[in-house]
Amino acid sequence: MGAIGGAPAIPRAGRSLPFDRLRRATWNGQRIDWSAYIFILPFLLPFLVVTIGASLFGVYVSFTDWGIIGAPHWVGLKNYSRALSDPWVWKTWTNTLRYGALVVPATTLAALAMALFVNLRWRGYTFARAAFYAPNVVSVTVIGLVWVWMLDTQYGLVNQYLGRFGVPDIPWLTNPGWVLYGIALASVWWDAGFSMVVLLAGLQDIPGELREAASIDGATQFQTHWHVVLPLLRPALSLVVTLLIIGTLRVFSQIYIMTNGGPAGASASVIHYVYEIGFSKYQLGYAGAISVMLFATILVVTLVQLRVFREKTW
Amino acid sequence: MIWIAGMAGALAWAAPLVWMVSTSIKPPNQVLTRTIEWLPRTVTLSNYAQVMHKPVLRWMMNSAIVTSASTCVSLATGAMAGYALARMNFPGRKTMFFLVLAVLMIPTEMTIVPLFIGVLRVGLANSYLALMVPSLASAFSVYLFRNFFLSLPREFEDSAAIDGATRFRMFWSVALPVARPALIAGAILLSTTYWNLFLWPLLVVFQDSMKTLPVGMAGFTPGTGVGQSTQLEGYAPAMAAMTILTIPSILIFLVLQRQFIEGTTSAGIKG
Repeated sequence: MGAIGGAPAIPRAGRSLPFDRLRRATWNGQRIDWSAYIFILPFLLPFLVVTIGASLFGVYVSFTDWGIIGAPHWVGLKNYSRALSDPWVWKTWTNTLRYGALVVPATTLAALAMALFVNLRWRGYTFARAAFYAPNVVSVTVIGLVWVWMLDTQYGLVNQYLGRFGVPDIPWLTNPGWVLYGIALASVWWDAGFSMVVLLAGLQDIPGELREAASIDGATQFQTHWHVVLPLLRPALSLVVTLLIIGTLRVFSQIYIMTNGGPAGASASVIHYVYEIGFSKYQLGYAGAISVMLFATILVVTLVQLRVFREKTW
Repeated sequence: MIWIAGMAGALAWAAPLVWMVSTSIKPPNQVLTRTIEWLPRTVTLSNYAQVMHKPVLRWMMNSAIVTSASTCVSLATGAMAGYALARMNFPGRKTMFFLVLAVLMIPTEMTIVPLFIGVLRVGLANSYLALMVPSLASAFSVYLFRNFFLSLPREFEDSAAIDGATRFRMFWSVALPVARPALIAGAILLSTTYWNLFLWPLLVVFQDSMKTLPVGMAGFTPGTGVGQSTQLEGYAPAMAAMTILTIPSILIFLVLQRQFIEGTTSAGIKG
């Protein structure tokens, strides 16, 4: 086991200077490698400031009336009680959850179909994989603007093709009832490729013998997929769903670009409201409280996922 | 049958990007048609010329500087910290790894309010450093390198250790050269992420000349009210702007497709 750190500390006779004692100090039964601290320092310093420190400071800010000018005052839970009675908080949470209820299942199904198809490795599968994944590398600005054009009520490609089947023009982004569907379409297009890759990796972990065994036993393609492949894909699916839930809770940029929350706030998400409150009205304390609430929600989702995920895998 | 459906799906998935390019080379008065014209009747570059009236090159340079600097910092600090976490024995190792894991799950949106206050107080607004702030400490990079070094057999470094090399020599001349796959995967994933960042650059930059490309180009949006003529014939120049914004990402993706997909796999599955 010639592990480097595990080399036995060779006692040196007759000297016990403090420096020497440090050199021979052990941790977990192995000699401490003091140079490790130099290795982690370049990461640790900014990490402590911009991540850990900022998170704690953010919680503090949420208990104050921090604005852009003037000294902040401690206001206790006032921001939180204000949030609970703010109709816009309820509206933006509802919008976000409705958006998630559209995007999470739609993206998962699309990604599953893509992954199953690509995994067949038929002719042209590399092209299909590239086409499915490509939107994922593109800037959100492109996603938003291209879809504003695609979803144009009169001249957009989507309505033009739907029109061929006799569907009347749909006001995707200008009607409060439709706007979340319009944004969801763009998001599915953007995200599905990423989920597909995660599912593909899950599919490749399934031993081929299992499928063969099923087909020898007379199972149809569909039965094999339903009874053998899908259950084994569960860990990957669970991961995909969790990542999507977290992603949809945080949705902002597409909305900012495509509708800026409109019409009449029908597409404003939680983060969009944080943006409005914090960075247009500069009520940073209140904005901080709303993001802390969002963070708590995301934390719960993550913990649930970790628990479920661990039980299913091990 | 399934093959046809799958390929049709793939074509449909590529269609918006093709449509974007097609629109961008049409004369603005041939864009709004009630029939679908995939191939432009007349090809023109005038939309691109119009986009160039904005400081697009400056934005591109800003994005390039910020992206490459952030990526280098993240890779360097991540490789060192990841190496220490994987190979060295020191008090606090477990705590630190736990913190890194926990932070992987904290969304950046959580820290925008405090970071914004901090950046304003320190007077960093409108600077490259401010744009880099959220990417200075990439927990993802640490995680990637830790896993990579853990998967390497220790024999490599043992022989170096016997030769009496210091930790730094071992890291620099033994571990790092072997870590090329992780460096490439990290560089690709991090630079794509940084290049596409939107919310943070939108907040900390108030000057037009310091905008990054995605934020600057978003000025062609009707939603933000910045673009003047996007609604009607303005779609053509907007799509020209989007094509400019897309080309670098898509080119890199097409060249390094395999690394992208492998990188996403390792990041997604183990993250």
